[in-house]
Amino acid sequence: MDKNVIETEITMGTVHSAAIEPYRVRLFVEDEIVKDAEITVGVNHRGVERIMEGLPVEKANSLTEKICGICSGVHLWNSVLVAEKGLEVEIPERASYIRIIVAELERIHSHLLYLAHGNEVLGHETFSMRLFYIRETVMELLRIIGGNRVQYGVPIIGGIRPRAELDEMKVQKIREGIDYIRGKVKEFADRFTSDPMIMSRITGVCPLNRKDALRLAVTGPTLRATGVEFDTRKEMECYDPFEFDVITQDDGDVKSNLLVRVFEIFESVKIIKQALKNLPEGAVVDRSWEMQDTDITKSYVEAPRGTLYHSYALEDGRVRNVVIRTPSIANIGAMQYALIGHHITDAQLGIVQCDPCFTCTDRAIEIIKRR
Amino acid sequence: MYSILGVIGTIIIGFIVSLWLPGLERKLIHARVQQRIGPPISSPGIMAPLKFFFKQTIMPYSPLPRLYNSLPLIGLLSVLFIFLFTVPETYQLGAFASIVAIVGFLKIEEVIYVFMGSLSKSVMSLRMPFPDLAKGAKHPNVQRSFLEDISAMRAFRLIAFGSFPLYIALFVPAVISGSISLGDIVAYQQVHGPILFSAAGVIGAIVFFIGYMILLNEYPFVILKAKADVIEGPYMEYAAKWRALVYIMRGFLMFTLATLFSVLFLGVPPSIFTWGILVNILVAVLFPMLMASFSAFAPIFTFKQFYPVTFGATILGVVALLAAFI
Repeated sequence: MDKNVIETEITMGTVHSAAIEPYRVRLFVEDEIVKDAEITVGVNHRGVERIMEGLPVEKANSLTEKICGICSGVHLWNSVLVAEKGLEVEIPERASYIRIIVAELERIHSHLLYLAHGNEVLGHETFSMRLFYIRETVMELLRIIGGNRVQYGVPIIGGIRPRAELDEMKVQKIREGIDYIRGKVKEFADRFTSDPMIMSRITGVCPLNRKDALRLAVTGPTLRATGVEFDTRKEMECYDPFEFDVITQDDGDVKSNLLVRVFEIFESVKIIKQALKNLPEGAVVDRSWEMQDTDITKSYVEAPRGTLYHSYALEDGRVRNVVIRTPSIANIGAMQYALIGHHITDAQLGIVQCDPCFTCTDRAIEIIKRR
Repeated sequence: MYSILGVIGTIIIGFIVSLWLPGLERKLIHARVQQRIGPPISSPGIMAPLKFFFKQTIMPYSPLPRLYNSLPLIGLLSVLFIFLFTVPETYQLGAFASIVAIVGFLKIEEVIYVFMGSLSKSVMSLRMPFPDLAKGAKHPNVQRSFLEDISAMRAFRLIAFGSFPLYIALFVPAVISGSISLGDIVAYQQVHGPILFSAAGVIGAIVFFIGYMILLNEYPFVILKAKADVIEGPYMEYAAKWRALVYIMRGFLMFTLATLFSVLFLGVPPSIFTWGILVNILVAVLFPMLMASFSAFAPIFTFKQFYPVTFGATILGVVALLAAFI
C-alpha cells in the first residue's frame, strides 16, 4: 500500500461540542493519528467592511466593536486610531492611559477565556469553571468603566467617552480587582503546572517550532510561545511610558501556549498598576479636531490574539476602502500544521492552543472570476 | 415463592437506588467541586429519562436502526442478569452465579459499544454542503468516516486491554476463597471475614475501582465518548425512550458493579430480607462519589496516558492475585 495515500477523513464541525464557534476541520487520519488537516471558515461571514463602507466615521467605528465579542474594545481602539492618524488628532495623555487600562483588562479577560476553554477541551471542567469565575471580576471591571460587559465603547476620536472617565472609586475597584485576579491566576498556574495528568496531556502536544511559526506568519502569543520575541505593543508609542516584558516560551506546544497567556496576564496587571499609579490629570477628550479627507491610513495594535490591522480612507467624513485583518487569520496555517502527527483527541486542543477567533476572522470575500 | 419475592424486591430496590446515583455524582461532587449549583439530584437519573420517555421517537441515522435502538435494552438486560446472580436466592443456579458468568455478561455490556459505534451514522460527522472538490481543497477523494466509527474502534481497544483491571480484580476473591462460585465466596467471608481486610483484598479493591471507572467510561477514561472529538460517541443517535434506556443502563451498571464489590470483597450480598442491603446501598453511593471526586480533577486521557494507567493497574491486579495465592 502506498503510504502517501490517506485513507480516512474525519470531519468535525461546523457544529461540534469542542468548538465554540462554527468552523469545519477536516482531519485526514490513519489509526487515529492526524496525517493532514484542513480548516475551513466561511459560515460566519457578516461583511462588516462592506457595511462600514460609506458610513460616517463615528458610526463606522462603533460598528467595529461588533466584529468580536471577546476583543471588541481593541477593534474599536484600532479603528479610532486609523481616523486619528489620518486626521492627525492628538489625544489627551489621560485618555491614552485609560485606553491602555481597558485594552489590558480586555487582554486579561480574553486570556482567561482562552485558559478556561483550553481546559474545557482538555476535559478538565473544574479548572474551566474556576477560570470563568476569575474572569467574572474582569468583566465587572469593564462594566464599571464602560457600562457594558462587552462592547464597552471606550475610545472615540479625540480621546475616550466621558462615561469611561476614571474617578477615585473606579480606580480603587480596579486596583482591588487586578490584585484579586493576579492572586487567583497565580494559584491556578501553580496548581495547573504541578498536576502530572495535565502536564502529560499538554507537554509536547501539537508543537510548532520557531522556523515554521515564522514561515506560516504566525502572530501574537502563539508566535511568542515558539520563542520569537515580538509584541506590537513594543512598537506602539502609547505604551512607551510602561515597563513590561515580552513573554516567550520555547516549545510552541499546548503547554507553552497556555503558559505564555498566564504570564501575559501578570504583565497586563503590571501595566494596569503603572497606569493607575501615574494616571495624568486633565481632560479625557479633545473635540477640537476637524474632519478632512485622508488617504488610506493603516494602524496596527496588539490584540489579545496578536497583531490586528485596520485601514481605511476618509472622504467627506465617510469611510472608504475598509480593510480589517484579524490575528486569527494568520494563525489558521499554524493550527493546521500543528495537528499533523498527533492524536485526533488532541486535534481540537491543537486548534484551541492558537486561540482562534473565527467569528472575527470570517470577513474576506474571495471572488473567483469565471473564464 | 418466598425466594422469587426476595429476588424481585431486591431488583426493585436496586433499580430505585440506581436512579439516584447519577444525580448524587453530579450534584454532590461535580457541582460542589466546581463551585456551581448543579442540577437537582433527581434530574440526571430520574427526571431526564422520564422526560425522554415522553419525547417523540426519531429513527436514528443507521444502517440497522432497529438493532441500534435495541442495544441499550440488551445492555440493560445483561447488567440486570449480573445483578440477578449477585442476589443470594440465585446462588443455587450454580454456574450462572459465578465469576465466569459475570465476566461473560460484562463482556456483552462492553461489546454493545462496538455495535453502537458501528451502527450510528450521525449528521455531526457530515461535511458542509459545499463540495470539497473546490479549488484548493485538500485530498478531495478521501473516504469519509463517521465520528462514531472512531468510537467503535476505541471500544475494540477497550475490550482488548481496558477491561483487564476489573476482570483481574474479580478473580482475587475467587483465588482467596478457592472457588469461582459467588455463594462460596460469600460463605468464605462469613467465616474468615471480608476479603477487603487482607493485603490482596486491598490491592484488589483499588484495581476493581480503577476497572469500575474504565467500564463506566468516566473521566479521565472517557475516550469512548470524548467531547473533544467523538462528542457522545456511540450514544450520538439515541433519542427519546432509547436515550432514556441508555441513562438507566448506566445508572444500573453503577449500582450493579458496586453490589458486585460488596459481594466479592465484603461478603455482603444484596437481599431485602437482611440489613446487609444497606451496606450494598452505601457502597453503591460511595463508589460514584469517590469516582466523581477523581474525575472532577482529571483531564481526558488519550491512549498515550490510557495505556500506561491500564498497564499499571493490570500489574497491580497481578500483584493482588499473587498475594492472594500466597
